[in-house]
Amino acid sequence: MSRPLEDILFGGPSSQAQTVTRVVSAIAAAVLLLLAAGIVFRFHAAGQLDARLWEFFALPTTWAFVATGLLGTLASAAMAAVIALALGLVLLMGRLARLRLVRWPSIAVIEFLRGTPTLLLIYVCFLVLPSAGVKLSTYWMLTLPIGLSTAAVVAEVYRAGVLAVPRGQTDAARSLGLREAQVFFFVVFPQALRYIVPALVAQLVIVVKDTTFGYVVTYGELMQNAKVLIANYQALVPVYLVIAVLYCLVNYAISMASKRLGGPMH
Amino acid sequence: MGDVSRLLADYGPAFGQALLLTWKLTAVSFVPGFLLGMVVTVLRLFPLPPLRFVLAVYVEIFRNIPSVALLIFIVFALPDLKVLIDYEPSVILTLTLVCSAFTADYLRSGINTIGGGQIEAALSLGMRPMSIISVVVLPQALRAVVQPMTSLLIALMLSTSLASQVPFPGRELTALVSKIATDSAVGIPAFTVAAAMYVATGLLIAWAGATLEKKLRILR
Repeated sequence: MSRPLEDILFGGPSSQAQTVTRVVSAIAAAVLLLLAAGIVFRFHAAGQLDARLWEFFALPTTWAFVATGLLGTLASAAMAAVIALALGLVLLMGRLARLRLVRWPSIAVIEFLRGTPTLLLIYVCFLVLPSAGVKLSTYWMLTLPIGLSTAAVVAEVYRAGVLAVPRGQTDAARSLGLREAQVFFFVVFPQALRYIVPALVAQLVIVVKDTTFGYVVTYGELMQNAKVLIANYQALVPVYLVIAVLYCLVNYAISMASKRLGGPMH
Repeated sequence: MGDVSRLLADYGPAFGQALLLTWKLTAVSFVPGFLLGMVVTVLRLFPLPPLRFVLAVYVEIFRNIPSVALLIFIVFALPDLKVLIDYEPSVILTLTLVCSAFTADYLRSGINTIGGGQIEAALSLGMRPMSIISVVVLPQALRAVVQPMTSLLIALMLSTSLASQVPFPGRELTALVSKIATDSAVGIPAFTVAAAMYVATGLLIAWAGATLEKKLRILR
């Protein structure tokens, strides 16, 4: 069955049905265009289309500043992803350990980091740790909490992948005389990774979203730089609109990549 | 432990209220978000290309925009467009929009699990497309998405923490912790209590979801 369900549902070939569909389509298009026009008019009526509010986007310095913010976002997201992938593996090893003394604390850490809002962890690094004498740079105040909470999620994603690898693989590897560590790192884990690449990439979208909290700790990422731009040019709506579009584009690109990666495996 | 007992003596009722507010925000944004997502899913089935395109854009926007960015836009940018929404409805609106986009996405994959033969069978029985959607398609799609919807509900519950980013009349858990941490030196115990409340709520939702999933799962 390759035909999408809605094509079967509405695939009635009668010419009358097709005419009705076309007419309703046209009406829907008209209504949606009217809606769009209404929004544009609202912008105009509120004076948000004034050249004054948009002309600074023609300045290269504006875009250089936005690009710096985007780089800040990506630098934080990339480091958080590295922390998450590495620490996630450590947590996974603990989670799968036979020793209860190792397994239970690992489960506790995973559930704790996974079940706490990233923003709360950021506040801990930002407000609580300094009073306890631990001073982090703004970069780490943002990146560390995101990396930690993502690590717990990644550990569970890894686990789903490991459990999806057929048991026969482990049995076969053992019967060849591989040691437990070799079985895991040479046979099971590489195969598990192939199952979960789309899920891991999708997790990256959440990491990028979480870096938006950078303005909380005044780390210079996209959102923080947006605030600075707004303070300079008094152009709230245009700047936030452009920033929102940029976030959507970055995340949409990552989502598309994850779908592409997910494709050829199956 | 002395710290925790002192904290609970000082802020115990505040924590209770904060937890209730977190739950309330979760519920009042999940229910409309879920219903809106269902409406979007059904509308996307209709053979109307302009509507499908706009709804696809809608879903991609609200799936990919960071919730904070959306909240800040609603709270600080919309007033410049002469649209004034109070803080609490702004938070709820943000979470509802994001929740609806993810619901629409998950329901779509739920619909994809339904075999086309069922639709052909229903059509040959003389059923109208609308009744096929409501009787055949939606019930099966809903039963297929219990697990992702559970994860979404947990994620939404954690996202209510972004209410701390606007001057909210009440304080939910994250806002309360940030206030306690700035006011006094009991930051770590306050954080521990709040984290325990979040984790417990998440585990409760996960357990309820797993129970529901067991009851509703369609074995194929």
